Amino acid sequence: MAEIGHGGKEIVERILSPGEAAEKIKGLTQVPIRAQIANEVIGLAYGFFCPLEGFMGKADVDSVCKNMRLANGAVWSIPILFDLSEAEISDYGIKEGDSIVLTYQGNPMALFEVEEIFEYDKKEMCQATFGTTEERHPGCARTYEYKDKFLGGKITLLTEPKINPPFDPYFLPPLKMRKAIKEKGWERTVVHQTRNVPHTGHEWLMKGAWLQTYGELPIEKPLVGVIVNAIIGAKRKGDYIDEAIILTHDELRKAGYFGDHNHLTSLTFWDMRYAGPKEAIFHAALRTNLGITHHMYGRDHAGVGDYYGTYEAHHLLASVKDDLKITPVYSMNWLYCPHCGEVTSEGLCNHRDEWQKFSGTLIRSIVMDGVKPPRLIFRPEVFDLVMECAEKYGFGSPFVTDEYLEKRTPVFTIPPLSA
Amino acid sequence: MAEEKYPINIWINEERYQKLQEAGLADMCEEMLAGLKVLRVYANEEQKDKILKVFPTAKFDASTTKSIELLPREVKDKIFDKIVEKRSVDILDEFLADY
Ligand SMILES: [Zn+2]
Repeated sequence: MAEIGHGGKEIVERILSPGEAAEKIKGLTQVPIRAQIANEVIGLAYGFFCPLEGFMGKADVDSVCKNMRLANGAVWSIPILFDLSEAEISDYGIKEGDSIVLTYQGNPMALFEVEEIFEYDKKEMCQATFGTTEERHPGCARTYEYKDKFLGGKITLLTEPKINPPFDPYFLPPLKMRKAIKEKGWERTVVHQTRNVPHTGHEWLMKGAWLQTYGELPIEKPLVGVIVNAIIGAKRKGDYIDEAIILTHDELRKAGYFGDHNHLTSLTFWDMRYAGPKEAIFHAALRTNLGITHHMYGRDHAGVGDYYGTYEAHHLLASVKDDLKITPVYSMNWLYCPHCGEVTSEGLCNHRDEWQKFSGTLIRSIVMDGVKPPRLIFRPEVFDLVMECAEKYGFGSPFVTDEYLEKRTPVFTIPPLSA
Repeated sequence: MAEEKYPINIWINEERYQKLQEAGLADMCEEMLAGLKVLRVYANEEQKDKILKVFPTAKFDASTTKSIELLPREVKDKIFDKIVEKRSVDILDEFLADY
């Protein structure tokens, strides 16, 4: 049976067989790409970005900016672009209609059929995507760093990336994820978008969303799973290291706070744009392609600073709900109430004067002071694993440092083409 | 309207707790989050701005806790020592005078 993704299009992996790949790239110009583009090549080739099959052409970019839809009408909120400078295009001698080879880490990664070379006003793109043109918005900053020309066209992987330990078990692209969900027997799944090590506030967000998603389904056997989908991409100093993020989420399952019957950890390669509401729409498309039925959205989803209203993403999602195949599940915050003696939802407990809110930042500050947080706030298994990850992967720190950025093992490597 | 106060949480690890006990100040601790001991030093707007400027890793958690977090351990140790010395949490002006 065909696996239908976002926009009603069948999900097809665009990956050549090894023999075919070596033959196809003979004599083609090779163009090295940076990490962001490599992440997006993976997104395009495996169907994470279905219905897109390649980097956008001008009609799609224009339609996304003006109508939040692709030229074919499918809802889409963030331009997916391949940029080069005029000089690079002429040095490489790239023309519309050419095929080129994208290389990463020195090896051929993907075939790029360049259908179109175009320009687009970056300010207009920023205004449409981020609701601002300010350079201090990280998404705008990224957009302004793009070179001045964009190349649109289909992408096909020449070889599958090798996902390095400890990340390998968590790379479940759309077709594989859909198979995993079927094997679990889950009728509904709810996704938790994360770039964090989970504290119990996150754990309860997931547990609350699981309850919301379960709804009227029968309870004789487990029919609903929480799927953690960690965003792995560009890191900023002071973020938790990727290894700690992915392993601690899975630890919640291994240590029994969840179980195999209701929890699965996975990852997607993507450099966050902090586009708030527009990123929320993008997440809906992404997770539809993963075969997930419900999507958790908290307050100020994927926002930054005070650019977006608390519920702006929810309103935007509501405005296109008939075009989305995934159901939003809205989450209220969880906090510690000393009166209740438990972590509770701010929608439930009414001891408002006694509430003690906690955040990832607060927990980091506790850990930095050499204190182990209480288990009601931060699970001891998670704490121990964070410390273990610091030693094993973080050069002594669970947070991103210059040394980590320089020496870490990449999450994936592109192996040389075997002819 | 009362002036906004922004806490700096000095979490009490074993070493700090021992020092407090030795100084007879163990009662100064508050308890938060299901069993954590903490000393809370409150900054006013001006002090908060100065702290964020002088210690660039520090972060004001505006969305959730409204507290000043991620001060380096050594800085917090200095604030802590000042509290013990003065037997009070009202030490921020004096502490910041050195910066
Ligand atoms: Zn309560």
